[in-house]
Amino acid sequence: MQETTETFWLWQLLGRLHPLIVHFPIGLLCVALLLEIVDWRRKSTELRAGIKALVWIGAGSSVLAAALGLILANQEEYGGDTVVVHQWSGIATMALAVGAVWALRTERQSLFRSLLFMTVGGVTVAGHYGALLTHGEDYISGVLPFNKSSEGEPSGSTNFTFASTNQPLTEKQIEDLNIEVRSILAHNCYSCHSATKTKGELRLDQKDLIFKGGEHGPIIVAGNPGKSELIRRITLPVGHKEAMPTKGKRLSEKDVAILEYWIKQGAPWPSGAEKSIYRVAALEPRMPELPAATAELTQPIDRLTNAYFQKNKITWKKLVDDRTYIRRVYLDVVGLLPKPEEIQAFEADNRPDKREILVRSLLNRNEDYAQHWLTFWNDALRNDYSGTGYITKGRYDITKWLYTSLKTNKPYNLFVKELISPTKESEGFIKGIKWRGTINASQRTEMQAAQNVAQVFLGLNLKCASCHDSFISDWKLEDAYAFANIFADTTLEIHRCDKPTGKLAGRRVLFKELGEIKETPVTEERLKELAEFLVQPKDGRLYRTLVNRVWAQLMGRGIVEPVDMMDNEPWSQDLLDWLASDFVANGYDIKKLMYAILTSKTYQLPSIGVKDAGLLTSSNFVFEGMVRRRLTAEQFADAVSVAFNPVYGDSALEFKRLPENIQKEVPFSRASLVKNDPFLTALGRPNRETVTTSRNSQANLLQALELTNGTKFNEAIKKGAKIWQAKYPSSELLVKELYKKSLGREPLPKELNVAQKIVGPKPTVEGIEDLVWAISIHPEFQLIY
Amino acid sequence: MKNRWNRREFLQKTSAATLAAMAASAPLPSLLSGCTKKIGQTNGTADTVILLWMAGGMAHTETFDPKRYTPFETGMEGNRVLSTFKSVPTVLDGIHFSEGLESIGKVMDKGTLIRSYVAADLGHILHSRHQYHWHTCYEPPQTVAAPHIGAWIAKELGPKNPVIPAFIDIGQRFTVGEAEELKAFHTAGFLGNEYGPFFIPDPSQGLESVRPPVGMDAKRFERRNQLYNDLISNGPMGEFGSDYQKESLKRSMEQAYMLLNSPEAKAFNLTTEPKESYDIYNTGRFGLGCLLAKRLTQQGARFISVTTEYEPFFGWDTHENGHTRLEGMKKMIDGPVAQLIKDLDQSGHLDRTLIILASEFSRDMMVEGRPDAKVQEQVNQPEILSDMKFYGMHRHFTDGCSILMFGGGIKRGFVYGKTADERPCKTIENPVKIDGIHQTIYHALSIAPDTQYEIEKRPFYTTPDGKGKAVMDLLA
Repeated sequence: MQETTETFWLWQLLGRLHPLIVHFPIGLLCVALLLEIVDWRRKSTELRAGIKALVWIGAGSSVLAAALGLILANQEEYGGDTVVVHQWSGIATMALAVGAVWALRTERQSLFRSLLFMTVGGVTVAGHYGALLTHGEDYISGVLPFNKSSEGEPSGSTNFTFASTNQPLTEKQIEDLNIEVRSILAHNCYSCHSATKTKGELRLDQKDLIFKGGEHGPIIVAGNPGKSELIRRITLPVGHKEAMPTKGKRLSEKDVAILEYWIKQGAPWPSGAEKSIYRVAALEPRMPELPAATAELTQPIDRLTNAYFQKNKITWKKLVDDRTYIRRVYLDVVGLLPKPEEIQAFEADNRPDKREILVRSLLNRNEDYAQHWLTFWNDALRNDYSGTGYITKGRYDITKWLYTSLKTNKPYNLFVKELISPTKESEGFIKGIKWRGTINASQRTEMQAAQNVAQVFLGLNLKCASCHDSFISDWKLEDAYAFANIFADTTLEIHRCDKPTGKLAGRRVLFKELGEIKETPVTEERLKELAEFLVQPKDGRLYRTLVNRVWAQLMGRGIVEPVDMMDNEPWSQDLLDWLASDFVANGYDIKKLMYAILTSKTYQLPSIGVKDAGLLTSSNFVFEGMVRRRLTAEQFADAVSVAFNPVYGDSALEFKRLPENIQKEVPFSRASLVKNDPFLTALGRPNRETVTTSRNSQANLLQALELTNGTKFNEAIKKGAKIWQAKYPSSELLVKELYKKSLGREPLPKELNVAQKIVGPKPTVEGIEDLVWAISIHPEFQLIY
Repeated sequence: MKNRWNRREFLQKTSAATLAAMAASAPLPSLLSGCTKKIGQTNGTADTVILLWMAGGMAHTETFDPKRYTPFETGMEGNRVLSTFKSVPTVLDGIHFSEGLESIGKVMDKGTLIRSYVAADLGHILHSRHQYHWHTCYEPPQTVAAPHIGAWIAKELGPKNPVIPAFIDIGQRFTVGEAEELKAFHTAGFLGNEYGPFFIPDPSQGLESVRPPVGMDAKRFERRNQLYNDLISNGPMGEFGSDYQKESLKRSMEQAYMLLNSPEAKAFNLTTEPKESYDIYNTGRFGLGCLLAKRLTQQGARFISVTTEYEPFFGWDTHENGHTRLEGMKKMIDGPVAQLIKDLDQSGHLDRTLIILASEFSRDMMVEGRPDAKVQEQVNQPEILSDMKFYGMHRHFTDGCSILMFGGGIKRGFVYGKTADERPCKTIENPVKIDGIHQTIYHALSIAPDTQYEIEKRPFYTTPDGKGKAVMDLLA
């Protein structure tokens, strides 16, 4: 039945009798087998009468146990394979037992013995899996010496030390200890003992409720851990029915010790406002003191990196050569491959500041820059050229505004202001996606605006809190609604998990330090005020989020990861803070920020490979240099276009949504300006219904198939091959030119040899096609290294 | 202990030798079966799922749950009309289908008929939105991109046969109306592109997607691949060491090469099907899609969706001429669907292949939405039928829809649920909702009901909050 109803109590009772009844067949049948073996060894039948009785009752009770078991399985929430194995082995055992009775009755001696033997085997298997269900999977293995490590990791983050046992604790120590205690409780106990689930009437998520205790009274006797129920429960042996936590990992010894210590100290609770148990990043900006410059390292980024390297015992490696450098900056600033003559000229250039000059000239290519960075911002602002909601006016595109903003390098404070307090041209971002019909309260367009503004501009996840108080941060449902109300023409009624609560939240910015929204019925006025509040220099969070995003784009990994969780710990707080403060001091100029990063020696370090994508966001990441990246879908298409032959024709441009004179500004139809298609999708361009702030650069089968026989790609190659054939009469010339254009270098003799064989002495169209294909899939082509 | 193949690892090791080695070290299969499990086999009752999608809203009273038939007369009262077709008996006692579905009626002894599916309300009818809900179990919009059920299955089980993509989507083009809305759920969402659909918009062109590019013979294809490998091994890239992008790229290219070169790829070539069989299936793209689904299932596909294709006001989306158009729709599905069941049964695949035929909602002549929660009407349907074009189920009805299920552990010859015999012909017994359908499918595949992933630090379950329950009554 789909609609679950309360199960009738009798069924419930019967079901729960299963564990009781099941012991009859277990005991009786085992004894029966034992006696049967005795008989067999003695070659007598003197025990037969007893065996008969045992087997009869045993089989009967196994039928009963199986029936009760089935009732139990259907009403309790068992899932997974253990219950299935248990159920079927139980039923099989029952069948075997009944079979044994039958064999006994029909006096098939040897059949009876083998059936009885198998029955006991079945009892063992079923019993074992039954025990796994009731006692947990690691009930037996858990006590083995080599599995002892299954105890939990310490939950705390601040590493409180028990230095001052004899002296009274200072206020600061009380606070630290308390945070430690609360985070232990949060990580180990909240899932069953908090507002959402309150087992045993015990809640451990609030001071007064912790001290109040549960259904059996208080759990803490201040000053006496030995008498505290809390300590008793968490120190009971695994498997004890009163041991806590009942599910999941045991508390670590350290966690237990901290809780004991805390109670011994009288379970102190700091007066005043509670500090968060979650890491909360500072809101205000901070300009760190710069470490001293050295002869080589003068630039602030390098000086800060140097300090980090010293701390982590990392030595500076030799900076990359000109060819690698020019390829990197081209792809990072304008998203294009450098032409062979540009590489040559750059390598030949003798000026000591040629890298700075190069970066400056690239940043000045306003159109190329806009056409490249449009991709990143389209993803982040979920702006697309077609899409969900157009039929119900749910989505408005902001392409013209965005393109122009990038082209003119609009100061970031203004950029943000125009998106939050928009004109007709830029309103698409906060308008949200509307699907026809009713939607979940946490997904109404105003809430979408709140979520997206928080995520994109503040690196803050408000999605949990739009439905209920967050479990992963201190954000409350009320905070989310108060923020969303700023975007709303009326005050939204707070819905908890889509159910109306009858409460209202008023209107509030997430960080009250930024200002108080004036109450006005005019949404535009509120948005204007909100925009002003958010872009204030004192909103360090806005600028840290931005510099971190740019850093992540250029370096393959943010200083904070994931880039949408700016409360996480940066690998260098100083670097993050300096970049953000410098960004503000420089007039919110994104290009200046890029210039500083791209000309730093830090950026020029050799690239680093990461074995597993998961390591990229891991919290113990150590920075050693730029992390290698794969070309995005758009970069790849453009690279093929530049090196060989345009992938997209003129008509592919999304003229309707782009600035009018776009055709004059593009060198060819750049992939960022065309509608999404199967080729781009396969290579990773997202559906832009939701905000996407980073792309996965791992390849997969669907992608490989698209590259191997996808029409789009193969057609482009085919067309180009004909042109190249006409242009290059000799295969040597052709191979060399292709290598220079695509990989920025001459082929090695061995490569030339292999390539020439395919192209043929006189280039054939097929040969050219195959060579271009092979090179474009080549890691050296696909990676930014 | 679950024998859960990690798809990525699985794909990493696709050579026969490694597969054999992996099988040997695989966790012990169910103690009861006592025999070694085959590669790609689940612990459940099904290894493969075929979803036959009746796009656009298939009226239950005109198909698998017919009511009193009232022939057309000019000037008749619309409210009198429950069904515009006669009922015909099926192989099951007392169970009738609407005229035109005789072939499917004859195979109902091999499957289950659900007459009580209740679609979500969503406040307003929008086909693509209801379809999104059916396929992902989540109502759009969502804060994260929700995966298609095929993507969940691909993620949890991986491909059954490593050279056949785990999630194949046949028949839907994205060049028609509501295209972007359709794209929104034809995706693996946050699970990642890797688990997304492999599209075959036109089944007769299926081979194109799995063979070397047009005009490239096998020899050249091999040579080209060799060149790629030679260039890598002779290039200076070695100095960069290994990183996941490079490794995953190399690996994926190898897999693609293997797939396009594999004997199984021939399954995509419908022209090798015996003419007799081909003709039964050939009712157009949907019918051929069923044929392709059959062939791929026999070669080891994991999840296949075949759609009659959604295009606003076409297919099952009858805003007028409902009766006339349904004659055509029934012709399109009746033969191929029945044949698919028969063929898979005969080849022994039906036992472990779960086939589901479903639609986003039903239709009715008068009621839009649900009788007790009507939504804004979208079809101009007069009370008095002055013209044959008004004779049919033109409004969108969410409160009683039919679903067929066959094979893969589903009961044979079973009917579940009931709708009222008078208007509103709504569900009156054993209502089933979408999370129940999904969980039933997952159950058959032995995918745990609480399967979830953490995305942005929040758990995202196969069915919302992990609450859905399999409808155990449907399972044998």
